Amino acid sequence: MKQQVVGSQVDGGADVDAGTAPVDADDGLSPVVVFDRASVAYGRVPVLEDVDGVVGAGHMVALIGPNGGGKSTLIKAILGLVPVVRGRIQVLGRTPVRARQDVAYVPQADTLDPDFPVSVGQVVLMGRYRQIGWVRRPRRPDRLIAAEALAAVGLAHRGGDRFGTLSGGQRQRVLLARAMTQRPRLLLLDEPFNGVDTLSQQALLSAIDGLRAAGTTVVISTHDLSLAHLACDDVCLVNRHQFGFGPTAATLTPERLRAAYGSAALELRGEGVIVAQP
Amino acid sequence: MLSRLLLDPFALPFMRRALVEVLLLGALAGGVGVFVVLRRLAFLADALSHAVFPGVVIGYLVSGQSGIVPGALVFAVLAVVLFTVAAARARVGQDAALAILLTSFFGLGVVLVSRQRSYTADLTTFLFGRVLTVDSTQITQTAVVAVVVGLVLYALRKELLLRTFDQQTARAMGYRVVLLDLVLNLMIALVVVAAVKAVGTILSIALLVVPAAAARLLSDRLLVVTGLAVLFGVLGGWLGLAASYEASINHGVRLASGATIVLALVVFYLLALGVGPLVRRRWRRGARLPDEVADVDGLPADRPARQAHVGGGVR
Repeated sequence: MKQQVVGSQVDGGADVDAGTAPVDADDGLSPVVVFDRASVAYGRVPVLEDVDGVVGAGHMVALIGPNGGGKSTLIKAILGLVPVVRGRIQVLGRTPVRARQDVAYVPQADTLDPDFPVSVGQVVLMGRYRQIGWVRRPRRPDRLIAAEALAAVGLAHRGGDRFGTLSGGQRQRVLLARAMTQRPRLLLLDEPFNGVDTLSQQALLSAIDGLRAAGTTVVISTHDLSLAHLACDDVCLVNRHQFGFGPTAATLTPERLRAAYGSAALELRGEGVIVAQP
Repeated sequence: MLSRLLLDPFALPFMRRALVEVLLLGALAGGVGVFVVLRRLAFLADALSHAVFPGVVIGYLVSGQSGIVPGALVFAVLAVVLFTVAAARARVGQDAALAILLTSFFGLGVVLVSRQRSYTADLTTFLFGRVLTVDSTQITQTAVVAVVVGLVLYALRKELLLRTFDQQTARAMGYRVVLLDLVLNLMIALVVVAAVKAVGTILSIALLVVPAAAARLLSDRLLVVTGLAVLFGVLGGWLGLAASYEASINHGVRLASGATIVLALVVFYLLALGVGPLVRRRWRRGARLPDEVADVDGLPADRPARQAHVGGGVR
């Protein structure tokens, strides 16, 4: 219900600041996402306030924070699905809505109905629908791109299986493959490692590595701090508002984590490491 | 024996017209019903079938039998637009919005019809339909609806599939989900309107939901589900009509034809419920070619017919 409310408001023309202060996005160096003291809200209730920072081209940025802290909302704001009520978010030098054609989104696999009668191959091909256009059916190049993406996540042999027969981690990989077929410049992943087995986590990470090697910028929401340390250049630490945005090691300090997670933060003796419980 | 039961009744002109009408309706509702079931819109179909009621009454009062379909159409479109907008914006929730819509429109219809002298008889006709009095104009109307709905659903099959399966990603990809919903809801409304005169407002929902639900029990492939739903819709209409004729004419048991059709559909559903687990094949691993993936329709990508079309038949 909430999402529908938001969607209709966006459809109704809530796009932010079309065409102000354009940044040249095509030199490959300009920031891919610019948060300019941005606040996002569902209706009148602000969910996340004062996010300020940039996602550099080719970087991988982790959105870190407790559940309900606004990570998913921020991802939706980058997609233009949640209105920015104050400040500004720019994507590839454009408004989020206008940048959509170069942005791919990977939802959490467990939000999708496992009983839905759709095959893995059909799901991956959905990423091509925009390119294919209305009315027309997928052509051979589309199917080859889809097959290639499915192979990149290590599921080439499962194309004919029903989506719901795969494990949670495998479904997540299928959704990543679908996003890959869009050939995005910016990839957004919402909690891709939730309840995902190690094998699938490795497959996801290696596919993401492949995309980054090809120049794709990645924003990933997670509460896995070790992943942020291992794989991400920068982190954005949020819980209702921003607690830090910058290089991973410098940003994920015990003080900031304690501030963001409150009582859910635990300090490990000796090493001074904070383990946050989602 | 079988041909006496299944074919002979339709030698009569009024039975033949009824048969053509229910075959068209069955195929149409079966196909659209797949989306109704997958989108879980059965309650919307139900609400629509009630919401067209005042339109049916007003249409009848204004210009008799021929006014029923236009009247129903006006109210169906009105109800769909109100519902789609309400579901997208209001904070009341989809189910509450539907309940308000359903009861207020239906109440209006009952108030209007209760001012007629032949109140009960009219009400019964509106609620349960009169398939045996279908005329050729109405068959034409149903055929037009079938063509329009079929073309629209075919044209939007990819986008509707994506929206039904993964609404969030459809939005993220830039699709106007509210518009897609509006189109699908309008198609459902058209089917309800087409079905109103034949099977009545109440029973039209059965045509939309039961064949598709039965088909869904028997297969996991969208194309197969759609084919089966159309088949069940058609067979249910045929067998139901034949059964009501046989019972009424040869056994002196008067069976309302619309209701008999619905019961025939329910029999299919119960059968599917029983045999579904037995016939539903599990999707086998490696059933498809490794270097390509299946089409939007779930067909293997390398059907010979397509290879020439694609022009890349290297294999």
